[in-house]
Amino acid sequence: MNEKPKNVSRRAFLRASSAAATGSLLLGSEALASTFKNEFLQVWSCGGLAEAFIPANKAYEEMTGCRIDYSGAFAGALGKSLLGNATTEVFAPRVLELAKKLKAQGKMLHFVPLCFTKYVLVTPKGNPAGIKGIQDLGKSGIKTVLSPNASPPGGAASTMILKKAGVLEQAQKNAVVVGDCVQSVVPDVTKRTGDVAVMEVRLTKKAEFAGQMDVIDIPEEFIPPGPVPFVIGVMKFAHHKEIAEHYVKFITSKNGQSFFEAAGFIPAMSTEGERLVRKYGVKDA
Amino acid sequence: MRDGFLSNWRRRASQMVFLAILGEFSFYGVFRCPFAVPYVSCGNCPVLQCPGRDLWIPVWIGLLVSGIVFGRSFCGWGCPGGLVSELLGRLAVLRGRARNTLEAVSKYPVVVASLAVLFLLHNPRWAIPIRTGDFFNSVSLTFEHADQLWLWRTGFILGGLGLAIIIPHFWCRYLCPTGGLLELFNRIAIFKYFMTPACTDCDSCRDGCLAETRPAETNCVNCGDCKPTCPVDAIRIGTKIKSEEQKAQAA
Repeated sequence: MNEKPKNVSRRAFLRASSAAATGSLLLGSEALASTFKNEFLQVWSCGGLAEAFIPANKAYEEMTGCRIDYSGAFAGALGKSLLGNATTEVFAPRVLELAKKLKAQGKMLHFVPLCFTKYVLVTPKGNPAGIKGIQDLGKSGIKTVLSPNASPPGGAASTMILKKAGVLEQAQKNAVVVGDCVQSVVPDVTKRTGDVAVMEVRLTKKAEFAGQMDVIDIPEEFIPPGPVPFVIGVMKFAHHKEIAEHYVKFITSKNGQSFFEAAGFIPAMSTEGERLVRKYGVKDA
Repeated sequence: MRDGFLSNWRRRASQMVFLAILGEFSFYGVFRCPFAVPYVSCGNCPVLQCPGRDLWIPVWIGLLVSGIVFGRSFCGWGCPGGLVSELLGRLAVLRGRARNTLEAVSKYPVVVASLAVLFLLHNPRWAIPIRTGDFFNSVSLTFEHADQLWLWRTGFILGGLGLAIIIPHFWCRYLCPTGGLLELFNRIAIFKYFMTPACTDCDSCRDGCLAETRPAETNCVNCGDCKPTCPVDAIRIGTKIKSEEQKAQAA
């Protein structure tokens, strides 16, 4: 783990404070370049967000000179560590309840909505089986690709969607592939081993799969709310709170949110995102 | 040769080049790979930082080709784990006192178990992948959230490597499944070190070998360190059959 300075010098404090004060006005301009030079910030997030955070962090580093020590992994595991003895300065978990728990423990100072994921049906390019909706997964002759034992956002959530749609049992009977990792079964769709799978739309944006699948919406009533919202919050362990706040402001700015949209998420700051913020009650109480 | 680390400088140079290319991949395979059997499911691995995502297919093709052409030479000339094992082996306390027939067969149960986990169990994930993160933090999180099976698997590898300080090249001689697979190629390899009929069975080559073997015998990695130790210059490299025919013709 990187060493962190224990005390903030007066000069560093003034520099960071002034940057934070002006940051919101100047965000995205080159005026902030080198403002936080030689500083660093530790950021943890749900692993699913890594494809968005990596380029976003690079942009932030180039803009400010502040180095981002970024870790992305299953939020449940990171959350367990943080609810224990682990520390980080900024945390972006999936599942609202985790952020609320951390806040209740006094470990997270505050959080804001970050983005939302979207569960869809994916078919091989051209949709050769002619899938029209989730009910088709229950029809005989349709070859489904499932991964019930994947980590909860991939496995349990997809199973719940099928259950809510009333097609779980038949979809299981129709399964030609039953994997334990969503990512590892995507090629079973792209290579037409199966006709259809339920997964997050972000997976279709990954470079190795882009353009190889068709996407069909799933009615929102079947989507379990738990894994959909992502938030981002400043932790009490932040050594430079001004930098942490400035970073969160950047990530939730138009510029920062563009990286999440490109990675297949719905930015919280979009019209659709604002609707979902209200729907899922994503607010820092 | 045991006496001088740099005495076979070509091999050291090769090991350093391979360390630069494969060192990080090797590290990730042991410490951060979430799969039961590392280095073989990289195409589906969510650990974004691991260079194996780009390297694994060329590496396995390279291993296959090198096995056919040079037998188990990769172990002695390129494997980062082999280098670690070799360095630790220089401290071995039972050097020359642990030769037994077990080393000819003990790798194969590990090979069979690895293949069974890979093909029958579809190489399950026994740890939560830390997709990206700084060095110590990621390793620490991987260990913290890993299943018991992953901890046993990693302990098996690290323990096997560490035992080199007792028995030289313990991991490579007794346990390494990749070494076991490459060993099968030793019999058909086009180029290899071998002993000519001039060999007097004095075992100087075995004494000079950190893996405590002789050319073309079990666990020979074609490193060539034994060549200068032969008092009758009976160690050659090349195509054994061709060389023997040439020798017969000359006679």
